[in-house]
Amino acid sequence: MTDQAVSSASPRLPAVPGVAVALAGLSLFFALASPGFLTAGNLSNVLVQSVILLLLALPMTLIIMTEGLDLSMGAVLTLASLVLALIVVATQSLALGLIGALAVGLAFGLVNGWLIAGLSIPPFVATLGTLGAAQGLALVVSDGQSVVGIPRFVRLVYSGETFGIPTPILIGAGFYALFHILLYHTRFGTYVCALGGNRDALTLAGVAWKRLLVAVYMLGGAMAGVAALLMTARINAGHPTAAIGLEFDAIAAVALGGTSFDKGNGWLFGTLLGVLTVGVLRNGLNLMAVPSSVQVACIGALVIAALLVDSLRSTRS
Amino acid sequence: MPKSKFLVAALPAILISSAALAAGETIAVFTKNQTNPYFQTVRVGAEVAAKSLGAKAVHYIPTKPDSIPEQLSQVEDVIVKKPSAIVFVPVDYKAMVPGVEQINDAKIPIVNVTDRSAGGKFLAFVGADDYSLGLETARFLLKEIGGKGNVVILEGVKGSLTNIDRVRGFNDAIKEFKDVKLLASQPANYQRLQGLQVMENLMQSHPQIDGVLAANDAMAIGVIEALDGANRKAKVVGINGTKEAVDAIKTGKLLASGDYNGFLQGCIGTLVAIRALRNEPIVTEVVLKPTVVNASNFQPYDSPLESRSCPSWSEAAALASK
Amino acid sequence: MSIASDATTRPVGLHLSRETQQLAYRLLAVALLCLALSVATEAFFTANNILNVLRQASLLFFLASGLTLVILTGGLDLSVGANIGVSACFAATVIKATGSPVLGTLTGLATGLVIGICNGLMVAKLRIPSFIATYGMLWVLHGITYYYMAGETIHGFPPGFRQIGSGYFLGVPIPVYLMLGFLLAGTIFAQRTIWGQQIYAIGANPVAARLTGIPVDRRLILVYAFSGAMAGVASIVFLARLNSAEGDIGEAMTLPAIAAALIGGASLFGGVGSVFGTFIGALILTLVLNGMNLLAVNANWQPLVTGLIVILAVWFDMVGRRRT
Repeated sequence: MTDQAVSSASPRLPAVPGVAVALAGLSLFFALASPGFLTAGNLSNVLVQSVILLLLALPMTLIIMTEGLDLSMGAVLTLASLVLALIVVATQSLALGLIGALAVGLAFGLVNGWLIAGLSIPPFVATLGTLGAAQGLALVVSDGQSVVGIPRFVRLVYSGETFGIPTPILIGAGFYALFHILLYHTRFGTYVCALGGNRDALTLAGVAWKRLLVAVYMLGGAMAGVAALLMTARINAGHPTAAIGLEFDAIAAVALGGTSFDKGNGWLFGTLLGVLTVGVLRNGLNLMAVPSSVQVACIGALVIAALLVDSLRSTRS
Repeated sequence: MPKSKFLVAALPAILISSAALAAGETIAVFTKNQTNPYFQTVRVGAEVAAKSLGAKAVHYIPTKPDSIPEQLSQVEDVIVKKPSAIVFVPVDYKAMVPGVEQINDAKIPIVNVTDRSAGGKFLAFVGADDYSLGLETARFLLKEIGGKGNVVILEGVKGSLTNIDRVRGFNDAIKEFKDVKLLASQPANYQRLQGLQVMENLMQSHPQIDGVLAANDAMAIGVIEALDGANRKAKVVGINGTKEAVDAIKTGKLLASGDYNGFLQGCIGTLVAIRALRNEPIVTEVVLKPTVVNASNFQPYDSPLESRSCPSWSEAAALASK
Repeated sequence: MSIASDATTRPVGLHLSRETQQLAYRLLAVALLCLALSVATEAFFTANNILNVLRQASLLFFLASGLTLVILTGGLDLSVGANIGVSACFAATVIKATGSPVLGTLTGLATGLVIGICNGLMVAKLRIPSFIATYGMLWVLHGITYYYMAGETIHGFPPGFRQIGSGYFLGVPIPVYLMLGFLLAGTIFAQRTIWGQQIYAIGANPVAARLTGIPVDRRLILVYAFSGAMAGVASIVFLARLNSAEGDIGEAMTLPAIAAALIGGASLFGGVGSVFGTFIGALILTLVLNGMNLLAVNANWQPLVTGLIVILAVWFDMVGRRRT
């Protein structure tokens, strides 16, 4: 009964999604236009660069599927990264640092979830508020300075290789697999799909959906904590503005991937494609030495164009 | 003045020109953002120097101003392209060290400009000493107000290297004058509007302000607008020696601006990079002496950037300390 | 049929009274804030400082008021800050080239308006979610501004033009008059005209609005055009106040403008909010900033305080709404 009521909300895939066309087209164009693009070194480069964004975009997909939004992710990542840096520098223990970062993420996720599910504050507002709080705390704990002296073993998380593959790619792939299983092969995933647009069914089925919603936001916070580890390892420091605004990139990648804002239709693989499209575009434009101002405009045009393709298709059908 | 080019028409031209660029050395120039006029002076300096030696300067600027992850990505992408050399202004002097090390690993020669990197190996450093810049500019103002009175400081972005050193210079200069009182030191983040509004607010709580030390020109210009709006008078100094500041000095609204000489930094940094590629002797440390641009010496700064020319190598080498 | 009539009557009748009540609470908050600041520092409660606060609030208000109409329809305009940048730079170029402030002002307003119409067309006709459409627009506009300005600034405008931003009339700054004018016009438009009521109805229930024959697409384009035009207005006052144009002039303004509308009681679900509420929201944000400057509070705390106020204000509304 429950599963039937819920299955109607499961994702419907567009025939040939705009994002796949965009990724294929861009890759082909850059392969022809810039000789350096299609080398193993550069492709692994693009993948590694995309991992931090992917770690945010995965939970963002789930959050948007619940008709929510998390604007605080970039700021929480920044704060978690500072906390991680401070702990690691003080204790020389990566485990303690990671626990600290995850704790920050989970705490903010809990607050977000409580504001949204408990107090019924719209997600945009609640997370705009916690964005300010996290950003402010980041400035306060660091006094606006970067935290340096990160030990070498932390850097290896980003720059190291495992089984001959750059570690960040493995981390990204692992979390993608985890989210895939979570969303498509567990009861939790089925409920997440139902949270967007089918909440009444959940209530009828006696599911405590408010707790579920809190869990979704805590998942987002935890992922910001994981991403904080990679960010700290990447820049070899904690910095009070390191990831400001990254949540908007994540939202754009999710939207590019065809996850819709109002019906709860999500597509995890689309999110992966969206993240890669943004990565390929930036990388290719850099390789071609396109001026930064033109790059800025290209990113905007791509976001609009991909959404336009999907919106035209959905109005036609 | 902005270049009145039309975006859409220019796009294909840019794509073609970048593909056709093969002859001569390619110097990749990294700057912090597209919005601060100071970095434009660095870029133009680099371009003028490259052109004078038959090389080509290609610019990499984060699309989000001062974004650390983005500059790191650009570094990684540029390593794939293997430019002949790199002229590098780190967006953050500590957080960009991993990027510099990657460039070192790729064996691409690199010159550090403006902000001294906390790590990595460079051919040379070309910059200005922010501390003495702040010190000299503040001294100039404090002498001008007769060595006594009330002053306020407008700080830049918290934690940035330039801001720490400039503000330290300001404070040390104030300590030299016993009769000068520091009323407040508030951040306005190098922003014009924030400079204006913070000054408006400070004027409410302090009826007598004789001097304002702003850590860059944009904030100083904001302060002037605030003073004008309130019909109050105070001597104001900024830092950077931008075109706008020079115009304000000409009309007597701004007392002085400590010159950071981005144009010269871009010039010399690029000259060093190209000379190293050609196995010509170079210098490894150029710290430009501060110039306090004021009503008596602004003329050389009053010409458009593009028409300025780089110093000859012997002139440039004479500025070097190592 | 009953659904449709319900949707048209609800915004007019029921929510006005509740809204009045909530506005009263907000005015009370402003009064308490002022009282606290007066006690904390002598510098606060002076005619000069009050005018100072009002003038600083005006820039935020111009931006936030247009945005409020968009939010009333259940949409969002993330491009307003970037819009200020482009409009200001184009207006500045025209003033410099022709020497005519009038032409420059018209250019700034027209640029803002055209951008707004583009947003409106994307949202209404192409059915792109407003969040994404205007976010894409934000990037496009930044690209145009950066490319056009190439890291330079344009500065030095005629004194007559500067009056718009820094002039006084009868001892009160000109931007304050402009703010009061737009406040009055916006309130009348939203509360007392058919178009305004239709905008509320669209936000409250878009499907019902369409069924009752409201030209939804045209109204949507109208509100985005308004939002763009108000960014144009803000850009002109910016130019006149700062005496210079640069690429990132409005970048830090978008989120505070959204925050002002939300603090003022606007709901992102649409159908709830008012231009006057947004005015109060802008005032509260500016007062907090002013107070922190006067008391020399470390600026690091500023985002934290702003964030908490946004959450508090909205939570307060939720409680009030549940009780009624």
